[in-house]
Amino acid sequence: MKITYILFLLPLLLNSCIEIIDDLSIHNDGSGTFKYSINLSSSKLKVNSILSLDSLNGKKVPDLAEIESKLLEFKSLLLEEPGIEMVKTELNKSDFILKISIEFNSISQLQSGIKNVIAQLNKEKDHKLIEENWISWDGKTLVREIPSAITSRLKSFDYSEIELLKSGTYTSITRFDKPILKTSNSNCKLNPSRTASMLQVNAFDLKVNNSLIENAITLTP
Amino acid sequence: MKHTLSSVFILIFAAMFGQKSELMVPQEAVTVFSINNLDLLKKIGVDKLISYDFMNEIHQELFDGSTDNKSLKDAGIDFDQRLNIFYGKTQNMEVSGFTFGITDQSALFAVFDDFDPLPSEIKGVNAYGSFFNNLVIKNNNGLLIRVEPVESYVISITDSVWFSRGNLSPYYQGFEFDESLNEEELLTQDVSFELLEKNYNELRDSIQYVLQQEYLSKVFHGLFEEGKSLYSNSAVFQELLLHPVAGVFYMDNERNFDRAKNLWYLKSVLPSLYLDIQELYQGNIITGDLVLGTQSIDFKITAAYSEPLGSIYLEMNNAKFDKRVAKYIKSDQSAFFTYTINLEQAYNKAYDIILPLLEKEKNIDLSLNVLSLKLANAFINKDAVFDAYKGCMFGTFNGIRKVKTRKIEFFYNEDTFEYGERETDAEEDMPIFTLGFTTGRPDVPELVLEHLSTITSNFEKKPNYWVYHKAIFDSAPLYILNTNGLFILTNDEDLAKNHPDGYGKAGLSKKTLKTIKNAGSMSGFANLKSVANQFPMEFLLPEQVPLMESLRGKSGTMTLSSGKTTLRNTEISLSYGFETLEDSGNHLLDMLNTLYLLTK
Repeated sequence: MKITYILFLLPLLLNSCIEIIDDLSIHNDGSGTFKYSINLSSSKLKVNSILSLDSLNGKKVPDLAEIESKLLEFKSLLLEEPGIEMVKTELNKSDFILKISIEFNSISQLQSGIKNVIAQLNKEKDHKLIEENWISWDGKTLVREIPSAITSRLKSFDYSEIELLKSGTYTSITRFDKPILKTSNSNCKLNPSRTASMLQVNAFDLKVNNSLIENAITLTP
Repeated sequence: MKHTLSSVFILIFAAMFGQKSELMVPQEAVTVFSINNLDLLKKIGVDKLISYDFMNEIHQELFDGSTDNKSLKDAGIDFDQRLNIFYGKTQNMEVSGFTFGITDQSALFAVFDDFDPLPSEIKGVNAYGSFFNNLVIKNNNGLLIRVEPVESYVISITDSVWFSRGNLSPYYQGFEFDESLNEEELLTQDVSFELLEKNYNELRDSIQYVLQQEYLSKVFHGLFEEGKSLYSNSAVFQELLLHPVAGVFYMDNERNFDRAKNLWYLKSVLPSLYLDIQELYQGNIITGDLVLGTQSIDFKITAAYSEPLGSIYLEMNNAKFDKRVAKYIKSDQSAFFTYTINLEQAYNKAYDIILPLLEKEKNIDLSLNVLSLKLANAFINKDAVFDAYKGCMFGTFNGIRKVKTRKIEFFYNEDTFEYGERETDAEEDMPIFTLGFTTGRPDVPELVLEHLSTITSNFEKKPNYWVYHKAIFDSAPLYILNTNGLFILTNDEDLAKNHPDGYGKAGLSKKTLKTIKNAGSMSGFANLKSVANQFPMEFLLPEQVPLMESLRGKSGTMTLSSGKTTLRNTEISLSYGFETLEDSGNHLLDMLNTLYLLTK
């Protein structure tokens, strides 16, 4: 069982009606907090019934204890990475809500920390998720992309899964100390003080067009 | 004398029919489907036929193109002979395969081209092999067979050898460790290993291979050297093959009973009790005729058993269907079953028959259990118990519906994009089931429900029903109706809220009701299209999934009803009705496949 599977793919396999939020706050000195939440509470019946199985479509179904233990392993490995200050994980086992919060010194350390942990847990050193950059920050502009490993998985969904994807949402929030000058994605909303952006897409639309949450956010000088 | 007569009968039959394919069904077979009317299958493509589960042995042929656009006729199969599909399992091995007649061996091998000749020491017998499958040809009859040792048996021997050599558990870190190595490290590791010493998996494969060869040789020895087959061993099977129907079914439940693991324990610990119980199951053989109609296939089953067991069944089935049940089954229900038994009479009879068997055993634990049983029988108010469950049960499946659940929803502050959580209503797809039984003591379940409601607020009493919140997978509610002499559990909100007294005119018709009343203890109906296509796989056990998958995409109806019960047998009828004009041979194979999966 792989941590990437739990974090990114398992929720999409169990898709039914899924809500994912990634919430990134970056301060002027480059440090910040990354929060990632997966909400499967509107699919409790389906999740519970799947968890009661040993395997589904030939894949072993992890039980909650295994998921918890992998999360703990993820947390302890990430804490050993340079530039990672604090990691919190929380699994609501009755409503199936997973939350991860990571405090970091710089975006590059956050990215390399997560990549290293995925590499250690996956034992797949050539994994696309590890090779690609999902995020970059030069002090003025933040660029976000979806790793192709996730988009290719989304594209492989069959008809029944696609039907279920239609009710899922992905929300990407980015916060800064300074106001935002411009964003490359026209669907991106800014708050009144222009210090936060929010991009909300339908999980199915994301499958059809994986550039939907790609965004370059430039701050005022 | 009996044995001599039986042998004479076999000789006469063999002389009449020559070497027929059914004579090659091995004695280890427990279940056999024998298709008589092969004309039906002439037009069926080979690739279609071998895609069925019962043709598992030659699935690999599907992938090499040798079966493309070939009909069974092109495959050199003799349509004047039966096709006999068999399966059997003993404590240590499984056998499966089929026997058939051959008209043209070169045509046969053009289609089934994966088989290579093997040396055969038995005169007149040619053998061929492909992976774990073997094809044997004798006098223009073919036997395609797979013999495999039971996995748990192979593992137990492997473990025994592995640990006796002083090895650690094979699962200890090894595989995970290997996964973390690159190719170069793996190569270095392989070189450093003792190459003559097998690892766990290699040892298991070797043991499996040796056992497989031993069992295959045992089966062939019995069949071709001792001349023993299921046909020669079973007079019931011989008689069954004389039936003038499209196909027949044979299942020896006596042997199925014998290989049950818990009885293996009984056999070792309480051998005389085992023998007594085995005697109870003597002659427990299920046979069936597949009768082909213009738009239906009827499967007429006879379940035979010993007289002592029959006397229990006779008492059990001496019960009348309670028509109050009919009000709670809709006339257009996707699927339903009813089961009516007289539990009190069955209990009394079973007590009379089984208790003396237990009493005979000189075992302290068992003796104490017998005493407890006697005391319970003396002190418990059996009338009250059997009045609480009066013996008429029903169940329905009514497709998939949205059921109300609760979910956590994220909500956002538009000024800051900060978010919080709130609980709101949600809807999820759920298969809708109802299960109920008749009761003469509604006060008993009411007492239990009242008590539970004092323990948890999840039990809530409504005017016409009880609701148990978050009962199903900690999410969906379960409704409980205790009314009109019926105790009903359902997740159908519509039934609980709008129809607590039944569906009235929308309930089962008088005609259907009459059919159920005449049916005996069991009756059932399923609309295949709605059941197989709607039923969520997630709610099935892994072993049930192939059965449901085999039914997907099929249309038509399945009806089940039991008939007369006597001291020696019970009749059951299963009918598969179809509306399409598709070749009836396809429907026959569909039904056969369903039965194969059900009985495997």
